[in-house]
Amino acid sequence: MDVGIDNFRNEKVQRFEEFVDRRLKPDLVHAISERDKVFEQQKVFSDLRRNIENLEKNSITNLTTLVNLGSEVYVQGNVADTRRIFVDVGLGFHVEFTWSEALKFISLKEERLARQTEEYTHLIASIKAQIKLVCEGIRELLQLPAEKTVEGRVF
Amino acid sequence: MIMEGGGGAKGTVASLSSLFPAQDAHKAAMRVQDAISEKQRELEHLRGFISDNANLINLVQKLPEELHHEVMVPFGKAAFFPGRLVHTNEFLVLLGEGYYAERTSKQTVEILKRRGKALDSQVDSLKAMMDDLKAEASFFDATASEAAEGLVEITEEYVEENNSEQESGSGVNKQDAPSVSGVDEARITEEDEEYARIMSRLDELEEEEELAAANDNQNDEEGEEEKETSNQSLEKLHDAKHSYSKASTFPCQRDEDIGSKELLDKYQQQQQEASTNPSNCSNFSEQSSSKGSLHGNNSSTQTRGMRNTNSAAKSVTFAEVKEKNQTLPASTSEAFTGSIVERPPIMPKISKQETETPLQPSGSQPSKPVSRFKMQRR
Repeated sequence: MDVGIDNFRNEKVQRFEEFVDRRLKPDLVHAISERDKVFEQQKVFSDLRRNIENLEKNSITNLTTLVNLGSEVYVQGNVADTRRIFVDVGLGFHVEFTWSEALKFISLKEERLARQTEEYTHLIASIKAQIKLVCEGIRELLQLPAEKTVEGRVF
Repeated sequence: MIMEGGGGAKGTVASLSSLFPAQDAHKAAMRVQDAISEKQRELEHLRGFISDNANLINLVQKLPEELHHEVMVPFGKAAFFPGRLVHTNEFLVLLGEGYYAERTSKQTVEILKRRGKALDSQVDSLKAMMDDLKAEASFFDATASEAAEGLVEITEEYVEENNSEQESGSGVNKQDAPSVSGVDEARITEEDEEYARIMSRLDELEEEEELAAANDNQNDEEGEEEKETSNQSLEKLHDAKHSYSKASTFPCQRDEDIGSKELLDKYQQQQQEASTNPSNCSNFSEQSSSKGSLHGNNSSTQTRGMRNTNSAAKSVTFAEVKEKNQTLPASTSEAFTGSIVERPPIMPKISKQETETPLQPSGSQPSKPVSRFKMQRR
């Protein structure tokens, strides 16, 4: 009888561990990488906002810049009229904006990106909580004493 | 343990599957396969770079054809302006470490081509690595299949009697393969002693040679036949010893014992004979007879010059052998312990001052590398 219970318990522990290793941890990695992508987008748009504000402040209407052709080979590019700017609105669409329109769009976009960041942060936290929960479950199944660090933690 | 022909054979036989279980071999093969696929991905990556580079070279070549190009000038990652490329023959190329150089289209193309070459060499090295891995994988597969077939490995400790040096031969072999390991190992033991002896003999001969050099002028008119005959005798020697040296080249390949003790004893006896009276070695009567005739000729003429030249002739042979010894690959498994005496190229000079010695012509075989104990017999 004892042996049967032991077997059952071992099986369960194994299944829990598999769940943690094969499901929760990959999920966690994926969520973190998604959040990093959102952070990158945020940075791109905040850079763009700063640049447009710069143009506005100095009222620059034509611009000479270097265009990267790839492999760090640059060639000079000339922009005759900077007041019309094409901004990526997602899904490969670019919309022609004036400076003020662009700034309005960018602030909206930044808001949305911030929300996404929040969501991903929550998702990551919940996955971490689930991992902890399953680990606790395994601990209970094995009837090990609770870890000191868990008890001692003060939030 | 397998013994053939009695003697003191000590060896262990382990089936290959117990040493390398088939599953483990398969696992190793799988691992190597993984490494290969990883390299394959790297290769794809590099191929991508190469095609990018080729496209860029095309672009850079075409840009100066027009004064300006209408393009969308990127402004950050998420925006761009409609604009145009100007100064289409001026490129700023990254040289590395944050340094840029202004180059024309042609110069840029040169730089890019050099980068392409670097990429090509990377691809080549990657391919070589993949070939290596493939060979490894096939080896693992072969091991797995051999283990599955039930091959055995025969290991035998070899304890040398005189030297502290130990030779342990091990190899994977078919069980029923005929083998002569005992003989081989006995030969290896001899080789060291013989080598030392040979080297000391060579030193002696060199001294004699120096003496001979003093008598150079007297013997200039002596014919060149001696040189030839000595060469012939050397060839003969090669002939006789050829199989002998071959056998000793691969001491560890065959592991079954055929009365190793007996053979060892026999060889040591021969060895002693050889050392006490080198011209009387029974195994190589042809050589010794030729030597005897040399001596006979010598004693009958008894001129000082003759004597010297005779020794000089011998030293020619030895010198040749010595040179070959130096170039010999490390076919035998022990370290090269003897001292190498550099010899100035006096051989052509010596060949002038040689006596005419009747020697039997022999079935000539082109000279081969002679193992060092061969010449000791002579």
